[in-house]
Amino acid sequence: MKRVFVMFVMLSLVFFFTGCAKKTPKVEPKPAPVVEKVEEQAPKMEKPALSEEEIFQQKSIEELNKDGNLKRINFDFNKYVIREDMKPILQNNADWILKHSTIELLIEGHCDERGTVEYNIALGEKRAESAKNYVVSLGASANKIKTVSYGKSKPLVQGVDEATWFQNRRAEFVITKK
Amino acid sequence: MKPSKPLQTLIALSIFILSSSIPLSAQQEVTIRIKEGMPMIPVAIPEFSFTETSVRDDEIKNIIMSTLWGDLEFSRVFRLIPKEHYGYIPRFNPNDINFKDWASIQANILISGQLEITADGRIIVSIKVYEVGSERFIFGRNLGGKKEFGRLIAHRIADEMMKHFGEKPFFTSKIVYTSEKGNDRDIYIMDYDGARQTRITFNSILELLPSWSSNNEKIMYTSYRRLSPELYMFDIFSGKTELISTGGSNYAADWSPQEDKIAFTSTKSGNAEIFVKDMKTGKEKRLTFNPGIDTSPAWSPNGREIVFVSDRSGSPQVYIMDAEGTNVRRITYEGTYHDSPVWAPDGTRIAYVSRIENRFDIYIYNLKNNEMTKLTENAGRNENPSWSPDSRHLVFSSNRGDKYQIYLVDYDGLNVRQITTSGENKMPKWQKNVN
Repeated sequence: MKRVFVMFVMLSLVFFFTGCAKKTPKVEPKPAPVVEKVEEQAPKMEKPALSEEEIFQQKSIEELNKDGNLKRINFDFNKYVIREDMKPILQNNADWILKHSTIELLIEGHCDERGTVEYNIALGEKRAESAKNYVVSLGASANKIKTVSYGKSKPLVQGVDEATWFQNRRAEFVITKK
Repeated sequence: MKPSKPLQTLIALSIFILSSSIPLSAQQEVTIRIKEGMPMIPVAIPEFSFTETSVRDDEIKNIIMSTLWGDLEFSRVFRLIPKEHYGYIPRFNPNDINFKDWASIQANILISGQLEITADGRIIVSIKVYEVGSERFIFGRNLGGKKEFGRLIAHRIADEMMKHFGEKPFFTSKIVYTSEKGNDRDIYIMDYDGARQTRITFNSILELLPSWSSNNEKIMYTSYRRLSPELYMFDIFSGKTELISTGGSNYAADWSPQEDKIAFTSTKSGNAEIFVKDMKTGKEKRLTFNPGIDTSPAWSPNGREIVFVSDRSGSPQVYIMDAEGTNVRRITYEGTYHDSPVWAPDGTRIAYVSRIENRFDIYIYNLKNNEMTKLTENAGRNENPSWSPDSRHLVFSSNRGDKYQIYLVDYDGLNVRQITTSGENKMPKWQKNVN
C-alpha cells in the first residue's frame, strides 16, 4: 500500500515537472468541487387574480368611466335612430350594465355644430333617449338611467369636416353611481 | 346673491337720467312725422361748445358727440352730413345761427349742443334742434348726470330725435347674451352698440338662451346647474335667481309681450313639446302634441300667436300657431333645416335661421307678402337673430371671423358691424321694449 502511494506521488511529480517543462497540459484540470447551494425559497407573495366583480368594487366611479367599459355611440346628421353599426356597441354596453346591476347611468346626448342651439338641445335629448331605450330593451333597468342633452355646447373634438362632426354627434354613457 | 359692483352701476344707469329733461318752454315744440319709404333726413351736428362757467373737458365732449353721431347714423332715419363739408362754414355760433350756411351743405336738421361740466364731474348737455329750411326751432332738451354717463346722455338725445320724428326710440336699449372667457361661461348685458358690457351671472355652469321680460327687469335663461337644462329667472335689480321650471328638460323660454306668460320647450311629457306657463298662477299648458320635436317658441308682438319650430314633417320647419295651440300653419317649405324664429316687434316679419348646404344664414319672412329674403351671405355660420325694438335692425351671432361674436345688421342686410371682440359671444337677445 505504501509502495503504491510512493509511486503515485512520484508519478505525480513526473507529470508535474514534465507538464511545467512543456507547458502544454495534456490533462484536463480537475473539476471544481460541487458546492451545494443552501437557500430557502420565499413564500409566494403575488396577489391572486381578482375576480371581475372585485375589480369593479375597488375602482372609483371616475376610474370606471376612464376605463371605457361603456362606449359611446355616434349618429347620422340630424338623426336619432340607432345606426346598425352602433348596435353591437350598445349590446356590449348593455351586457356590462347587466353584469354590474348596481350602477346608475347618465346618458348624454350631443350634437355637431351644424345645428342651431334650441333644436340641438331637443335632438341631443332624442339621441340620449334612443340610446337609453335600446339598452333598456336589452334588459337594462330604465329607472337607473337618466338622460341629458347638451346640444352642441360640449363638442368632443374641434374641426370642420364630416369626420369631426361624426365624432361629435354622439351619446355618452357616464356612470354616476355603483 | 348680492348684485355685483358692475351690476349696481347698471342698476344706477337704468334708473338714472335725471328728470332734468325739461322742455325749453320759451320756444314752441313741433313734432314731425316720417312716412314709410321716405329718404333719410340729412342732419348736421356742429361741434358742441362749453358754457362760460364750464370745465373744459374735450374727452367727455368727444364721447357724447361721437355716441350721438353713431346712433343717428345707425338709425336709418337720419343721415349725417360728413364733417368735411362743414369746412366751408364759418365757425358755428349757437346764439346766432346762419341757417343759409347749413342749407348750402344740404342739411335739413341742425343739432346745436352746449355742455356745462362742473368741477365735481357732473354734466348737463343742452341741445336745440332746428329745421334748417324753415329756420324753425323743433325741440330742445337739457339732459344731465354724472360724467361717466356721457354715453347714456348721448343715447337719450338720439332717442329724443327719434321720438320727435315719430320713430320708436331704442338707443338706450340693451342686449343680453352669453359670453365665454377662458373657463367662464356667463350671461352678460351690454348697450345696443356693444358698449358697457356687464356680467350678470357668476359661475362656470353652462347657461344658454337668455331672454328679456317685457318690462326689461328680468332675464329668463336656461342653465345646467342641476344637471339637466332648466329655466331660471334672474331679477336684474334685486340680483335674485329663481328656478322656474319643474320636471324634465326645460329651455328656450320667450316672454309674452303682456309679461304674464312664458312659452318654452319641455320634455316633461317625454318628448320636446311647447308649453306656456302663466307666471302669476304658475299654471302650465301644453300646446303641441306630436312625436316629433317642437321647440324654439317666440311670441307675436300682440301675444296672440306663437311662431315655433317642429320636425313633424321630417325636418325642422317654421310654423305659427295661435297662443292656445290651435290653428297651426307651416310657413317654411324650402330647405330642410330652419330654427330660431323671432317675430319683429312691428309684427310684419319673422327672422329665422336656415341651413342650406352646411351654411347657416339668417332669412326674413315677410308676413304681408309671404316673401323670404336672405339677410346674411357667405360669411360663416349666422345664428340666433333678434330684432331691435324699432324692427329696423337685428342682432345675431356669427363665427365669420374665427370665433363667435355678436353683430348688428339692418333689416335689408346693410351696415353689418361687429359689437363684441373679447372671448366668444353668442345668443344675443335685444330688449323687445324700450323703457
